[in-house]
Amino acid sequence: MNAWALARRTVAHNPARAVLAVTGVGVIGALLFNMLLLSRGLLVSFRDLLDTAGYDVRVLAAQGSMVHREPIAGATALANAIGQLPAVERVALVRTDSAVATVPGRQTRGVTVTLVGSTENAIGGVWDIVKGSSLPLVSPAGSPPPLIVSTGMASQLQLEPGASLQIRVTLPGVASALPAIDCRIVGIGHFTFESSDEYTVATTMEGFAAVHGAEDRDSADLVLVASRSDAGPSAAAAAIALLRTDLRVYSNDQVLEQFNQNAFSYFRQISAILSSMTLAFAFLLVATLLTMSVNQRLGEVAALRALGFPRRRIAANLLCESALLVGTGGIAALPLGGVLAVALDRILRGMPGVPARLHFFVFEPRTVLLYAALLGATGVLAALYPIWLAARLPIAATLRREIIS
Amino acid sequence: MIAFTVVTFVAAFLAAAALPAVTADARPDLPAVLVSRQLAAHAGLRTGDTVTLALDATGSGAMRFRVGGAYEPTPDPMRFTARRLEARMHLPDLNAITASPSDPGSVESVKAVNVRLADPNDAAAFASALAARAPGIFARPTARTRDGPDPFVVLERFHLAVATVTVLGSTAFLLALMTMRAEERRETVGIIRLIGVSQRSILMGVLVEGLLIATSGAVFGILVAVAAQGAINRFFQWRYDTALVFVRVTMSIALRSIMLSVPLGIVAGLVGAWTLLRRDLPALIRR
Repeated sequence: MNAWALARRTVAHNPARAVLAVTGVGVIGALLFNMLLLSRGLLVSFRDLLDTAGYDVRVLAAQGSMVHREPIAGATALANAIGQLPAVERVALVRTDSAVATVPGRQTRGVTVTLVGSTENAIGGVWDIVKGSSLPLVSPAGSPPPLIVSTGMASQLQLEPGASLQIRVTLPGVASALPAIDCRIVGIGHFTFESSDEYTVATTMEGFAAVHGAEDRDSADLVLVASRSDAGPSAAAAAIALLRTDLRVYSNDQVLEQFNQNAFSYFRQISAILSSMTLAFAFLLVATLLTMSVNQRLGEVAALRALGFPRRRIAANLLCESALLVGTGGIAALPLGGVLAVALDRILRGMPGVPARLHFFVFEPRTVLLYAALLGATGVLAALYPIWLAARLPIAATLRREIIS
Repeated sequence: MIAFTVVTFVAAFLAAAALPAVTADARPDLPAVLVSRQLAAHAGLRTGDTVTLALDATGSGAMRFRVGGAYEPTPDPMRFTARRLEARMHLPDLNAITASPSDPGSVESVKAVNVRLADPNDAAAFASALAARAPGIFARPTARTRDGPDPFVVLERFHLAVATVTVLGSTAFLLALMTMRAEERRETVGIIRLIGVSQRSILMGVLVEGLLIATSGAVFGILVAVAAQGAINRFFQWRYDTALVFVRVTMSIALRSIMLSVPLGIVAGLVGAWTLLRRDLPALIRR
């Protein structure tokens, strides 16, 4: 009988204990798996969001941070200049502001929305149209500004393409209020960066200026650039940076790095701490379980040694036992970890301002490999002390003690 | 009675401002400014130094100030990853820097007003009344609500979920260990039963033993948590250069942990003892 067969028989000899141990390893393993998913989940998900938007370079004013930025003056000329660069394929200007949207004829209070003005009107960009049409390239003079509302807002307010919506921009820090402007919904869409606690409404740049009192400031909060596939975002970013030195130019990789260093660092570090504690916990418990198991079978081990079993064989037997418990529990932990990841992800996505499409727990094959390696190493380390106990026990004295007791 | 705060602080434009640290003699005639500890370390500033603050790197609106001292910024959990390069000055001095010649009202403009009410319970009503009287004003109470969109409520739920899973996993292990422990005492319990000790007495003994072990374990766990609390806080305070406290083991948390772990430990011990006591005497003393 080889070491594996002996280990299987030893574990099966006490099924209740084995089931409890495997359950414990499974639950702790699920937690470890989740923490490893969390360590890179936000990064992977955010990268997917950025890449889905279709642009790989972002241009901001030098003043301010990635989130709160000063407007870029001379935006139209800047967009034209960027569009003529050989490394650039497409350019879009974006302006954002807070507004209140109300449905004409209804007595209900308005909803606060993020109003996005953009030269972007192509499908598959910052938003995907699911109903109606995209923003028109040119709006007839005197016509109400066209809007695209999010699916959540359309569902909440029962809006359809063709319906009217009044938009009133809120201007913090100014002792005045702009009147509400009648607009027309042309489409309903999914917005890539919309969070679950706020609605997004997109319009043309002309529409954005109209709701601001027809003031055409020729500025933009953000310039989105798509590079040519043969040039790449780095070349495009470098060329844009030479155009205007008062601007900050970021490729998607650089944006990710910024968020990774700042906004995401808390989750990365909490993941590292909880992973370490989970591994320490698993090591402690598996080592305790195996040690108690060896202590209960000292006579059996001494008898095997007396029969001629080498220390190596005894150690292999205990190692197989550890591998069996940790391995079975570790495999059971994967589906359990998946269910737990869905639950924890749902909790964390309840944070205000988090895009609804962003996920904290993202599956990657490398995570499974890392998880298996860590759990495997823990199982081996946890077996070292019981192996040492079994290998160094005095055979004759142990057998004598067993007979006397 | 409403008290207005008259001291405000600047953050955004300071990052772009030139701050030559001139170690000249103290200029008591210059207005004083307090700088954050982080800014003082970053720019090499000391009390008495003369600095120039401006709106942008070109020096528009520049004014000279005397560094009156350094302060530790109030830790802000929403901005703990941000470098706190800040300064505090008197409001008229800030308005003098930021005033726009084309806007006479800019000399008297502020971004926020802090209000302390005679009765804090009137906060919501006061905020609503103020917003109704002054269009464009956002007034809100500073007290956080425990429900609604609050990132810390979400984090609390997340940590509670992780703690629940950890307790479930450790309970499974505890049951396994207690079962093994009970099995180790099989013969001893059989002999005790043979000499006439009742099952009830054995169970009481297991109960008391479980209570002692569970309580000792819970207290030990609290001590480990307190030690870990210090290490985690020191690490993150060093990492983010902040005075924010990240982990705090309060009496309430310690009591909740003990109230959960002690009954779990006792129940695990009783389950282990039950697996033994349900057997008949010959099965207990069999060799």
